[in-house]
Amino acid sequence: MTGGGRVLVVWCPDWPVTAVGIGAATPGAARDGERVAACTAAARAAGVRRGQRIRDAQRRCPEMVVRDRDLDAEGRLFEAVVAALGGLTPRVEVVRPGVCALPAGGAARFHGGEEPLRVLAQDTVVELGHDCGAGIADGLFAAELAARAGAGGVIVPPGGDAEFLAPYPLAVLDLPDLADLLRRLGIWTLGAFAALPAGDVAARFGAAGARAHRMAGGAPPRPLAPSVPAHDRSVRVEFDPPAERAEQVVFAAKRLAGGLHDGLRADGLTCLRLAVEVGFADGRVDERLWRHEGALSALAVAERVRWQLAGPQPGGDACWGGVTFLRLVPDQEIPDEGSQQALWGQVTVTDRITRAAERVQALLGHDAIVRPVLAGGRGPGDQVVRVPVGDLPPAGGGGGPWPGRRPAPAPATVPARPLPAETTDAAGAPVRVSARCAVSAPPAGVAVAGGPPRRVIAWTGPWPAAERWWDPDQARRLARFQVVTDDGRAYLLAIEGGRWRVEGIYD
Amino acid sequence: MTEVELLFDSWWVSALVAAVRPGGEQPAGEGQVTVLPALRPVIPGGALRPGWVVCVGGPGRGSLGLALVAGAAGGGGWCAAVGLPDLGVVAAIEMGAEPARLLLVDEPGGRWPDVVAALIDAVDLVLLRPAERPSPTAVRRLMALARRGRCVLVVDGDWPGAQLRLSVAAAEWEGLGDGHGRLAGRRARVAADGRGAAGAGRAAWVWLPGPAGQVSKAPATAHEGPVPRDHHRPVPRDHHGRVA
Repeated sequence: MTGGGRVLVVWCPDWPVTAVGIGAATPGAARDGERVAACTAAARAAGVRRGQRIRDAQRRCPEMVVRDRDLDAEGRLFEAVVAALGGLTPRVEVVRPGVCALPAGGAARFHGGEEPLRVLAQDTVVELGHDCGAGIADGLFAAELAARAGAGGVIVPPGGDAEFLAPYPLAVLDLPDLADLLRRLGIWTLGAFAALPAGDVAARFGAAGARAHRMAGGAPPRPLAPSVPAHDRSVRVEFDPPAERAEQVVFAAKRLAGGLHDGLRADGLTCLRLAVEVGFADGRVDERLWRHEGALSALAVAERVRWQLAGPQPGGDACWGGVTFLRLVPDQEIPDEGSQQALWGQVTVTDRITRAAERVQALLGHDAIVRPVLAGGRGPGDQVVRVPVGDLPPAGGGGGPWPGRRPAPAPATVPARPLPAETTDAAGAPVRVSARCAVSAPPAGVAVAGGPPRRVIAWTGPWPAAERWWDPDQARRLARFQVVTDDGRAYLLAIEGGRWRVEGIYD
Repeated sequence: MTEVELLFDSWWVSALVAAVRPGGEQPAGEGQVTVLPALRPVIPGGALRPGWVVCVGGPGRGSLGLALVAGAAGGGGWCAAVGLPDLGVVAAIEMGAEPARLLLVDEPGGRWPDVVAALIDAVDLVLLRPAERPSPTAVRRLMALARRGRCVLVVDGDWPGAQLRLSVAAAEWEGLGDGHGRLAGRRARVAADGRGAAGAGRAAWVWLPGPAGQVSKAPATAHEGPVPRDHHRPVPRDHHGRVA
């Protein structure tokens, strides 16, 4: 935070699990792909750890509830916590959902000391029904660890950050590569790392290493820009008439954030924090600080605006009386050390395309115009993921073998929702496929989506597919067929649980 | 000096120009929208002229639309599909489309004329399936915008005043037997019908799609052409073993 000021950090443990609605007493975990993103205290007691493979975690704790991580819900739910803490001091900074920071100096004087403030902050969050820790220190990093220390957090005396941090293992820096390397060099604690000469660390480990070194020594991770910003770089958009739908504000926020980033980039700057001010028609102004550090894309900023809008209003999408203005203020500008994100992969997008896509999004909403991205999967519908223009495509491509995938040619028409079909044999009885994949009789007629039955002139199959058999909720067993009917059409049919459907039409 | 002038004047310069541009399949000219090579004989001029409206209809319309998209999006252009939630993206890629150059608007609803108008300025080809029969106003507006935006509008359905209509006049699936084999491709006779001199009576046999999903030139079928049937390929038969 600002140089010299004391920082209070409020930390809600296992926030990703709380956000998906698992109580601390139930063993549960939020998953991020194949890994545990966070787990409850009960699961931790059974040996589950963050970053573990789900399968390993389930072996240790078979009764564990596993849910997909929901970043959106994390942000939304944390809004309530931030709003409550806003009663103590108006400048609440969200570091990430689950962790927020408050400047403690003035508030401590007002509430009669640092310990009363710390206890008050903790009580405020506990009253909302969330477990939390609160800690006070000189720097953000030390304060976050102080919030996790002891039972419910500790206070690090002024000037004592380095001493407090010294015994911690290197893992708390969250830089596994660096920690691993340092361990092999015989350095196990933050104190030992901080004792190394700063110049040598910077020469050997580069900018990231120097940053970690400053953090380990209790100094702010980046020296703050000493100069006052030359001019106001805040950007603002007015809504006249007031915007009624959150979607409209979020869309404007994306463009606004793009403009803000362009302005900062032109001066070679980035900001540590971003203040988002939302003005409502009833005169209320909702202000929130978000940690930025040059890591947020325009879309990520828009997402934070969405969380902010979803917070205090009852009833989700409707903003109270409408939003009259939106303002983004960059806070604590520092020189940009550079990190580039290619939003569009290899193909460069011209301004014309971006403008056209934005016009369509203005007409129909953000998700209306999509780009197809190839993904893994066997069915023709599974192989393509539709990513809204402007969003980052999902990680992990469609590489790798997919045994059981239909060879080319692919169907030209893939119904968004598979069409129901009736397949009958020569006697008019429904065709069935046994568990051993034997067909009851050759298919002779196919009726698609309740239409008249057409005679089958050629067919092949069944091609069995057993997918996700390791997951009882998503497991499915199906068999696929290709048929050509007498009207010259060819279909990719699938039978699952005795019901036929059309997965693709070779139109 | 005179020798150099003589050199440029000489007849073989024009011969050289003729040699680098072989007759028949002309490359797409400036601003034209490229078409897959197999479909060039069907299209007047071998490429789609900006501002055209092309209708695809009848059986095989899905593949025809995709083939036109693949030709444009594979030649460095951008394509958009409006109102086709069931577009077979994988099939388009197999035909040669670059997926990064595709934009899809699956559910435009009643706003489809506005969506097309927004896209027509930016992309080279818009594949459109209108939600309802287009009104005369929308037709006039979009055709004017297409001419101005130098964009080709491919309509899956009917469109009054379209310059070119493509359809599959005859088709035969290959590779599938009675309980064995797999779909290997479709031989299709693609026919063009156009206003005035454009395309009237043009037709070509193509694989739509071929064994690897591509669109390529195909021999005529045994029923209509002189090319003998490939005996290694299973002939479609019905359940009683008769040739369909």
